[in-house]
Amino acid sequence: MLGRVTNQTAAMAASRGLQANAARLAQLQSQASSQKAITVPSDDPTATGQSLQVRAEQTQNAQYTRNATDAEGWLSTTDSALSNTTNILNRIRDLTVQGANDGTMSATSREAIATELTGLKSDLLAAANTQFQGRSIFAGTSDAGVAFSPETTTTDPSTGVVTTVPPAFTGTTGSTVQRRVGDSTTVAVDTDGSKVFGTGSDSVFSMIDGIVSDLRSGVNVNPQIAKIDSRLDTVRGAWAGVGTRQAQVERTQDTLASASTSLENQRSSVEDIDLGQVILKLQTQNVSYQAALAVTAKVIQPTLMDFLK
Amino acid sequence: MTSTFGTLNTAYRGLSAASTGLGVVGENISNASVDGYTRQRVTTSSIEAVQNGLFTKGTTIGQGVSVDGVARLADATADAQVRSTASAAGYSSVRSDALSTLETGLNEPGTSGLSTQLSNFWSAWSDVSNAPGKTAPATALLGQANSIVQTIAAGYQSVSDQWSSARSSVDTLATQLNQDGAQIADLNTQIRTGLQTGSNVNELLDKRSLLTEDVAKLAGGTVHQNTDGTVDVLVGGNALVSGDTARTVQVTGAKTLDGSAASPVQLEWTHRPGASVGLDGGSIAGTLSVLAPASTDGSGTGGVLAEAASSYNALATQLATTVNAVHETGATASGATGTDFFTLSTSAPAALGLSVLPTDASQIASAAPGSGALDGSVADKIHQIGISATAPDKTWASFVTSTGSLAKAAITGSDRATTAATNAKTQQASGASVDLDEENVNLLTFQHAYQGAARMMTAVDSMLDTLINHMGLVGMS
Repeated sequence: MLGRVTNQTAAMAASRGLQANAARLAQLQSQASSQKAITVPSDDPTATGQSLQVRAEQTQNAQYTRNATDAEGWLSTTDSALSNTTNILNRIRDLTVQGANDGTMSATSREAIATELTGLKSDLLAAANTQFQGRSIFAGTSDAGVAFSPETTTTDPSTGVVTTVPPAFTGTTGSTVQRRVGDSTTVAVDTDGSKVFGTGSDSVFSMIDGIVSDLRSGVNVNPQIAKIDSRLDTVRGAWAGVGTRQAQVERTQDTLASASTSLENQRSSVEDIDLGQVILKLQTQNVSYQAALAVTAKVIQPTLMDFLK
Repeated sequence: MTSTFGTLNTAYRGLSAASTGLGVVGENISNASVDGYTRQRVTTSSIEAVQNGLFTKGTTIGQGVSVDGVARLADATADAQVRSTASAAGYSSVRSDALSTLETGLNEPGTSGLSTQLSNFWSAWSDVSNAPGKTAPATALLGQANSIVQTIAAGYQSVSDQWSSARSSVDTLATQLNQDGAQIADLNTQIRTGLQTGSNVNELLDKRSLLTEDVAKLAGGTVHQNTDGTVDVLVGGNALVSGDTARTVQVTGAKTLDGSAASPVQLEWTHRPGASVGLDGGSIAGTLSVLAPASTDGSGTGGVLAEAASSYNALATQLATTVNAVHETGATASGATGTDFFTLSTSAPAALGLSVLPTDASQIASAAPGSGALDGSVADKIHQIGISATAPDKTWASFVTSTGSLAKAAITGSDRATTAATNAKTQQASGASVDLDEENVNLLTFQHAYQGAARMMTAVDSMLDTLINHMGLVGMS
């Protein structure tokens, strides 16, 4: 029912209409300037829930990417350390084969080989103690600083006998260093130094000490070649394992990168406005607001007073 | 047959009626923009002719116009509609304001909200797991943990502040209700006396109508019209105003959020302490519903502020419990096991009592006992809490979305109630407000009536002049 229209009801209706128009305009302006479709949860509670979920996944994805980069660093450092180790072992094998030629070797030549082998041993120790960001890559979770303790030499003052203690493994066996690269995926990034380089009398250092002492005492070193070969096999095996894990990390990095793009798309589609649409609405709203203002200005002015003389 | 002077009297009555009419038009025009003013009309009727006696003969004519009174053109139905919609609008606008403030304080969704901080906290654990014992990631983790502690405490504090401000506003509203009641009772007395003496009480009725509308906005209730012109205002079924007496109400209960569970805030009649006033609407009822204690069964149906506060407490407790449970299984760099990461003070609500125990990297138990000191598997397990089905993040997200849904419903409800109230107000104004065009037309009508009556007098005067001064003077010069 259209009731009686008075100056007061006309003014109330006009101000209500203008207020509603201005409110819609203000909302569109705030959307256009903030670029956000949701500023408070009540704008869209469901989308808010999705937004929180997607943002949490984005943070996790960024963390997994950081973890994968760290894992790649570990693995490529291990890769070059093992490549180095293989080269050194190959050189040791060559020298040992050379030293095994009893007939042609003079004591001086054998001593030269022994000296070079001793030098190679310290190179090997350096490779075994390779570090990545302050962590020994072959020491597992140990905090000893080095994976293999340095060789110690003690001389008995009374007898003059020199005792050499070969480098010993200081790491924690059985514990591995893992990097989480997915909700349920971890990658082991360390390599067990005790397996690659051996421990105690079985270690590569004791083996070299044995070859050196055989060479110096004139014992044929031919039987040692088999030991070197077996050590080389072990190192190559570990190297292959590192390569496999490196490939896994690289695949994961690809997956994480594409997930990052798709998560950002999801977040944007939930939270962000369609700018074109909002600007179109803003223009339309602006026109209708101005129309309302103009019409109000025309309608609210005249009364009968204006026409009475 | 009418007397000569009788006609003069009729003309005088016309003059007087027209000038009363002009006076009422003047009153209407000068009050055209006064809030609550109801337009008035002079009511007139014609005076019947003197009835012929048994032996008199001839035609008699009426004796002019009588001014019967000044009518107030109010519509009781429209007034009742305004009151009932004002009560609903008062209730829902308080609730929608409270929920809007609450959800704005959550800072969600966005980078400054608690959900982002929680995600960063779990990430920081993963960084610690990558480099156990290192200062940089440990410092970042502790910073993130402290920032969560502060955010939870600040969130709880702002809910508590909002509660306190609602608590003091309900006191003000109750005082206003008491003042309105007293004024209505006072006006009732004046109106009754005025009606008994036959004077015009229209302006007093306008004032009283505004006050009853204000009472409806505050506390709902109903208005009963009595035969002597007074009204009774009933709130929650009991009389706030009965004739010339007004009863008062008071707000009792805790002054702080923490005490509200033990001593809920309620509105009571001053003369009947302990019994709550059963309000059916209005902003006092809205504020009391916001101040209500949290539900004891955990269904989340209690007062919104208390529920929000208990959500903060639940989040703090869950965070501390889940992180500590895993942290206790780990070993620090020095090998110590069974240490906690978070601690909850028993003397304060969980949200305010939460604090971080470790102060440097050496106190963070990131390693599994028995493995090397640089093991990060326990830190990784804590990181895993963030993606588990029982993560504190989920508790927070469900709190945020449920607050959002409540706020959305309250805002829509409030919009609806406000529209209804505006419509009722427009309906009322359409009947009761002054239309200047109409008043101008009335002005002209009464002006012309006055001129006509004056001309009538002139005519009678001239007739009498002819009769008295010029009769029998034929030929005299």
